[in-house]
Amino acid sequence: MASPPLLLVAAFTGFPIVLAVAYSLGHTGGLNQTTALIAQHQHITDEWWGTLGAYREVLTNPRFRRDLGVTVMVTVVSTSIVLVLALIIALYLRLTGGWAAKLLTVLAIVPQFIPVVIASWSVLMFYAPDGFLRSVFAQAGLEGPTFGYTVSGVVIAQVWCSLPFAVLMCASGVQAVPDALIDAARDAGAGLVRTTFSVILPMAFVPIVIAATFTGIGIIGSFTVPYFTGPNAPTMLGVDMANYFTAYNMPQQSIVMAVVVFGAASLIALAYIWANFRSSKEAGA
Amino acid sequence: MTIPLNDPTAAAAPHPDAVQADPMQADGLRLDGLHKELGGRTIVDDLSLHVAAGELVCLLGPSGCGKTTTLRMIAGFLEPDRGAVVVSGRDVTHLPPERRPSAMVFQNYALWPHMTVAKNVAFPLKLAKRPRSEVNERVDRVLQLVNLLHHKDSRPGRISGGEQQRTALARALVQEPAVLLLDEPLSNLDAKLRVRVREDIREIQQRLGITTVMVTHDQDEAMAMSDRVAVMNDGRIEQVSAPRELYSNPRTEFVASFVGSVNKVPGRLTPSTLSADDGLTSAVRPESVRLDADGGRPARVTRVTPHGHFTEVRVSLDEGVDLVSYVTGAAPEVDDRVGVELGEVWYFREGERVE
Repeated sequence: MASPPLLLVAAFTGFPIVLAVAYSLGHTGGLNQTTALIAQHQHITDEWWGTLGAYREVLTNPRFRRDLGVTVMVTVVSTSIVLVLALIIALYLRLTGGWAAKLLTVLAIVPQFIPVVIASWSVLMFYAPDGFLRSVFAQAGLEGPTFGYTVSGVVIAQVWCSLPFAVLMCASGVQAVPDALIDAARDAGAGLVRTTFSVILPMAFVPIVIAATFTGIGIIGSFTVPYFTGPNAPTMLGVDMANYFTAYNMPQQSIVMAVVVFGAASLIALAYIWANFRSSKEAGA
Repeated sequence: MTIPLNDPTAAAAPHPDAVQADPMQADGLRLDGLHKELGGRTIVDDLSLHVAAGELVCLLGPSGCGKTTTLRMIAGFLEPDRGAVVVSGRDVTHLPPERRPSAMVFQNYALWPHMTVAKNVAFPLKLAKRPRSEVNERVDRVLQLVNLLHHKDSRPGRISGGEQQRTALARALVQEPAVLLLDEPLSNLDAKLRVRVREDIREIQQRLGITTVMVTHDQDEAMAMSDRVAVMNDGRIEQVSAPRELYSNPRTEFVASFVGSVNKVPGRLTPSTLSADDGLTSAVRPESVRLDADGGRPARVTRVTPHGHFTEVRVSLDEGVDLVSYVTGAAPEVDDRVGVELGEVWYFREGERVE
């Protein structure tokens, strides 16, 4: 028996997905008719199952391939940086617990309260060719680096926006490791580094994986950050999708890209499910 | 110091008298004037104690008396403000816990849930970079000792409380520590299991001859397991004695009332009289209050509480003093007239025993 929430998800998320995928396969009739009426450069099917024309076109497009590469690269690099920073802050807080650690944690969470659009703009202004950083350098007669409108700028802004959630997750996961288990490791002869890698991090494994997957999925589908801080080309697929959908009026190609991003996000989600499964198995459930 | 885990002849249980005969020998554990303040409060106050090699000493006291703080200073989790911790003649006061020759069994066992029983036990040996074959052999041997070989590959979450307790003990023993520290090791077990596990621990400790310090607030546990008991109150040791001595010859009023029960009466209570004596407290154990239908001081029974193998009888002497007596066998009824005879009575002034 389907429960009401399930029905709701099926009606408002599942059904539109089916429609969109059907459209990407060249089914332009039925509920897709209105979109298809004004869309340009469509692949229309004669077969009952559809055509892979739109997929072939997008997947062989060098611009798409380059942007897919940039998207994956920005996601992997930003998620890695975010995780490392979040874990350093979380461990620092766990192992020292002084006022400096608490202050750092609070500071790391501040970006959560700043809308992404404002944050992106601020990052751009800070690192732009005529931005704050270069102005300060120029005062000293030096040539500062330019990160505005570069992929590096996108990574910096992604890290900035994703850090608060990762810090909250990692800090709570690391804080949840009981003192006695850390004491026991030290009593057994483990120094701080060994205690961290053999006891604290494995025990905080699930929250860390959750932080990583949520951060990764957030970044891979992001629009605002690369739109503001990145270059026009190469850019991330979120920006491409918006461009193909609105600026170029090619919704079919846009949907194909969405399917590819969705597939990549599903891979990340698998890691999340695996981690949860592993933890429930560990607990003896 | 190494302890051959599987050779009972090589590490025979030391004779309790022999242990106490020479408490100043260099082996074992010595605490010299340990002092610790936390948050402006004195937790441990100039505490000195010598635990002879192979001896089991209990730190017994109420919550907040500083016994756990003392144990954590021995383990190295806390550094004393003053004083020294000396293990086998070596001053370890300023060493971090990972470099001390002590091993601790934690109150909640503190087993790592992501490791199997065998991996939990092997962890200290891996840290010590012992060869793999030696690790496997020692882990098997110690798991056999605590009778857990069949749970080698189980995770701690899947075994019972008693088995977790033994795993924690195995993890400490496998390190062949110079000093074994037990932090309320039985408090999470049910009553029956507690008695069995405490016998197991005592038996293993004696067989291996490990110098051991145990913290507990349970006097039964302390009495049953220890060579000597150190009763702590307010950060100080009130008395260190063998269990029997502690019970029969308490040196302070606190020890008399904390270990076992005691009737306390202000003034001087003798077997035949009660006279006012300012600042003097008389104390008599309930089993030294004997009820007799024929002789003794006249009294009336005011309450009778059966406890199974004995009955707690509260009587009111005609002089107006209430006393509790433990009666085995037939007990009187409420409102019965009885005669009361007193055995040994102790006298305390300002908490110290005076007679």
